[in-house]
Amino acid sequence: WEIHLDLMLNCSLTRANGELLNFSSPARPSFGKKQLPSIPKNAVPVTKPASPAATAQLANGTHASYGPFYLEYSLLAEFTLVIKQKLPGIYVQPSYKSALMWFGVIFIRHGLYQDGVFKFTVYIPDNYPDGECPRVVFDIPVFHPLVDPVSGELDVRRAFTKWRRNHNHIWQVLMYARTVFYKINTMEPLNPEAAVLYDKDVQLFKSKVVDSVKLCNSHLFDQPKMDDPYAISFSSWNPAIHDEAKERMFTHKRRPEDHQKGLQVSGLSWVKPGSTQPFSKDDNPPQS
Amino acid sequence: MMASMVANGNRDGRQGEALVLKGVDPETCMIVFKNHWAQVVKILEKHDPLRSNTSSNMASAVQNYVEHMLFLLMEEDAGQAGAMGPILEFVVMENVMERLFLWSLRRQFTDDMKLEQLKMYEMIVGQARQPLLHHKPVLRPLMMLLSSCSGTAGPEVEAELVSLLNQLCCVLAKDQSVLELFFHTSEDQGAANFLIFSLLIPFIHREGLVGQQARDALLLIMSLSAENQRVAQHIAENTYFCPVLATGLSGLYSSLPTKLEVPGEEWHCLHREDWLQMPTLVQFLNSLEFCNAVIQVAHPSIRDQLVSYIYNGFLVPVLAPALHKLTLEEVMTTTAYLDLFVRSVSEPILLQTFLSFILLHRHENVHILDTLVSRINTPFQLGTVSLALFQTLIGLYCEDVMLQLILRYLIPCNHMMLSQRRVVKERDFYSVSAAKILALTPSCCSPEHSPPPLRQLDSILWSKGTDNSPNTGPLPPPLCKEEQEEHCQSPIYLDVNYLHYLYNARLGISSCTRACQVWSAPYDGEDPPPEEYQPSALEEAGARGRQAQTVNPKRSHPHPRPRPPCPPQTTDPAPTNQLELEWDDSYDAGPVVSPEAATAESSRPPQPPAAEPPKHIQEMRRTAIMLVKGSYIEESDFQDDVMVYDLVAKKDEDHFKVSSLQEKDEVPLSNGLSLPLHPTNMEVNSSEVIKGSKEVKAHVEDHNSNLQSPLATEVGDDLMDQYEELIRTLGSDEAGTGGSSPVKTVDKEFRNPVVTPMEEDEVDFSSFSVDTPELEKQHLSLFGTKLRSGSTKSHSVPFTGPFVSVLLSRLENMLDNSLHVNLLLTGILAQLAAYPQPLLQSFLLNTNMVFQPSVRSLYQVLASLKNQIEQQASTKKDFPELITSAQHCLLARESSLKGQDTNSGDSRECSPPEAGRMMKSSPPPQPKTISLARTEVFATVLFTEFLKELAAIAQEHSILSHVPMEE
Repeated sequence: WEIHLDLMLNCSLTRANGELLNFSSPARPSFGKKQLPSIPKNAVPVTKPASPAATAQLANGTHASYGPFYLEYSLLAEFTLVIKQKLPGIYVQPSYKSALMWFGVIFIRHGLYQDGVFKFTVYIPDNYPDGECPRVVFDIPVFHPLVDPVSGELDVRRAFTKWRRNHNHIWQVLMYARTVFYKINTMEPLNPEAAVLYDKDVQLFKSKVVDSVKLCNSHLFDQPKMDDPYAISFSSWNPAIHDEAKERMFTHKRRPEDHQKGLQVSGLSWVKPGSTQPFSKDDNPPQS
Repeated sequence: MMASMVANGNRDGRQGEALVLKGVDPETCMIVFKNHWAQVVKILEKHDPLRSNTSSNMASAVQNYVEHMLFLLMEEDAGQAGAMGPILEFVVMENVMERLFLWSLRRQFTDDMKLEQLKMYEMIVGQARQPLLHHKPVLRPLMMLLSSCSGTAGPEVEAELVSLLNQLCCVLAKDQSVLELFFHTSEDQGAANFLIFSLLIPFIHREGLVGQQARDALLLIMSLSAENQRVAQHIAENTYFCPVLATGLSGLYSSLPTKLEVPGEEWHCLHREDWLQMPTLVQFLNSLEFCNAVIQVAHPSIRDQLVSYIYNGFLVPVLAPALHKLTLEEVMTTTAYLDLFVRSVSEPILLQTFLSFILLHRHENVHILDTLVSRINTPFQLGTVSLALFQTLIGLYCEDVMLQLILRYLIPCNHMMLSQRRVVKERDFYSVSAAKILALTPSCCSPEHSPPPLRQLDSILWSKGTDNSPNTGPLPPPLCKEEQEEHCQSPIYLDVNYLHYLYNARLGISSCTRACQVWSAPYDGEDPPPEEYQPSALEEAGARGRQAQTVNPKRSHPHPRPRPPCPPQTTDPAPTNQLELEWDDSYDAGPVVSPEAATAESSRPPQPPAAEPPKHIQEMRRTAIMLVKGSYIEESDFQDDVMVYDLVAKKDEDHFKVSSLQEKDEVPLSNGLSLPLHPTNMEVNSSEVIKGSKEVKAHVEDHNSNLQSPLATEVGDDLMDQYEELIRTLGSDEAGTGGSSPVKTVDKEFRNPVVTPMEEDEVDFSSFSVDTPELEKQHLSLFGTKLRSGSTKSHSVPFTGPFVSVLLSRLENMLDNSLHVNLLLTGILAQLAAYPQPLLQSFLLNTNMVFQPSVRSLYQVLASLKNQIEQQASTKKDFPELITSAQHCLLARESSLKGQDTNSGDSRECSPPEAGRMMKSSPPPQPKTISLARTEVFATVLFTEFLKELAAIAQEHSILSHVPMEE
């Protein structure tokens, strides 16, 4: 779980700093040296007329040239929060093409939808965090009162009627996407059939759910819907590939101890915990 | 002769000899050996050199036989189960080596002869196939030989001696069982000692190959000491190793140039290229490196002793006064040395010694740290060099340093509104702070306004990946064009340069975060708890800490040798702490002394001199107070500094002649460097050692006499007159300069609350008159000038510490600072901003944080700078053009520096045009279009870049700080 997400994080960060923006690693050796950019040799600079809109942006306090950075970092911050939450059974990964689109998969471990593995995509509005709440669309429309039987979209908005910056976070949306499978709500359904069945004929509802789960799982190994290098794709167990990854996951768990031994720590401290006096640790050599 | 032949045979003939011997059976060898020996014995008995003149014929005959014998001995294999081979057994039984040695001794034991014998031993020790040194009949004559070589000997003998000693140490390191024998053999000589070690000591500080070999050999013994208690104890208790080593530093330091030839105004620290050209400095660094290595490998008892001697024998008596010398250049030079030393030391314990000297030691009742901090605010190169030193210190990621410099002032959270404490740990999810910082970009520098070659915008495909959802948000206009398309890819314009900053910010923050994992607390506004470290609580804690420290048994050296006398403040922890409290008062707590502290003070009568700063300091302080009235006007402070330093500099020239005369009559002061001779355990051949250390001592004392303070006091008094005169002239000037320029007015408006300079004066003046005696406790060092003038602030006025304050005031002057000062300054601030501690981060980067009105934030200073720049831009028509040329100039500078970097990294082609220059950082080729004197133009360009750097750091913090680090 952790390594998975860590890897994902790394991917997304690489992307943020690298691939997408076509940026090669800079050579600024240390702090203290201001670096001006080298003039790109081949890139023909695009001359952009100073539009009134741009000046308006300036006056606003936001700089046109930096807007995408703020958006990108807001999304990365959201992503790091998702990692921190360690949501059970949910994995997400931003797409290669855009930080506004995240691929995800959810594993249902018990209840009516037990054994279901549902792939989904999160779409985040590009005026995030000031727009609507992010949307969650399942690759295959799951039979569920709150999932649109045609588009596969989950009714997220009912839980986040107004998206409030600083209060609402994307992990909450993911959490919500998980909850709906354990606690069924039939109010104002997107799939009225499912809602009615659940209320009137649970047995039939259950069998329909089982069918739906089977259907979804049978398509698990399909090519991802979206053609994207970071789309989540499943493949059957291949020892040549997966054994090594598995091993890495297990060694990763042991790492905290290795960490302390092997890692050469460059920082220094002689402050006794609980004190704010310098050189207060007992094992200090005599000085004066 | 004999051995030289042998030695030659070693090189040329050995192969052949070995081949010859290979097929020969051991018995034949034995017979040959015995035969030879019989011949030699005959000659030895017939020709006693004392009675008859040994003819050279006889000598060469002996030598011939011995040569063969030694080859036979060397080539012999050990017997079964490690038993001696028959030849060795014979050598031992017949005491062959000793008899040969004695015979040589009875002849004239010339240097040549010593050389031969030494080479002979070097050969058999190094090449024998069985262990020889285990046998006393071999070892004893060797020891006698070594003893006899230790006196006055020519350089050749010395070199050979050290080489042999080095070899013996190698044997020791491999086979510790020999060690015991070395000790025992020495006992036979009448003293329990460790001769090979003692013999090496005089060569510790020697330059060249001999010194290097000796140090290598000593290091072998040092690592031996880590495992062998007996060796450790012997070295710590019975040898002068540690004092010689530490005081040697003092001696070597005294031969360093007291004033550096500075290549240019931009120079601020000693790079490798610089010190490689200064032999004395190279030698000093060699010895420092050796100390570092010893501390790394030696037994803790040796380590602790050495560290203690370095502190009490070098840092306190030599470096501290040197940091307070009389001329700007000298002080600047010492500061640059200190910076270099700190950078050269890698062993944590040694580094800690230097740091505790810097952070805690008081020289003439002023903390070294305070003096150094205050010097940041001096004009001239001293300020720049001091900045560079702090850059080094901050780059250590050392909790103790950061605590003393900044964190201790932030822990109580008094600098922010009470309601803001919960904000400290909050993450800036939407890059709000970054946006606010970048919004300060001066309009003349906005990326859109740059002409094409310098434009930092680049077209980048920004895929939105969203489908048909309507775009209502305020995204940049270019995005809107192809809105309708699914997964549209629309070009937008990004500041590509900003990516570099993000990348570097990420690197900087990650490495800093990793380094800070060893820290004792997160400094997040909760741990350490702010309530416990309110100024009043701090005093109690200080009192408690003081008690604890007195109770703590002092670590003393196990041997009875008197420790070198130390200045009182270094031996008695009590006054140190007491004064530390006082220091806290002056900065943080104002003139309030807790009852505990007061009683503690009265109950400890014997330290009145420690509590009272020297008279001249007091007096200077008083005048300084009169001058600035405790107000906080950096601009005028700055002016004063300039004038005082000017005066001092002029004064210096005159004074120097006088002082050089006076020097001769001065009695060298006791400085903790004397080396009392141990009455009982004098080593057989230690006379040389003692002599050596005496020389060092004398040297140091000489040096010290240059440094001692009677002179300083005189000059101080002298200076006082100047100072007072100055005040008179300044007094009339002050009214005219204070806040009259429009820029300054703007600047004031940015402070919160809006206070005119006059008001500030009044406020502080009144507080000054309320409690005059306490105010006198302000510290003021000769060159430190006044510390922060705001030291009169009381509890109610929060203060973020002198370091932050001085940095921000220099930053505030950015438009007047030279380029390199600004580079250092912004570099340090960026370094600080990369620290992951929420207290620091929120103070420097969180633009939403609400601080107490009296607290100046980085953002406020930046905002005021922006205003100043806009003002300049609006009044100067050619400003945009100047900006462009400055950008070009800086780009050229950057690429030339880069060229140098790659050049020094690996010596590929790419020779930069300034390859022949001595100093790395000397000024870049002057641009034709703009002079570096247009500081405001360069500062504007730099300011814009600095904003990006800070914004990038803020952004990276928002995504990094809470994620566990991945390698």
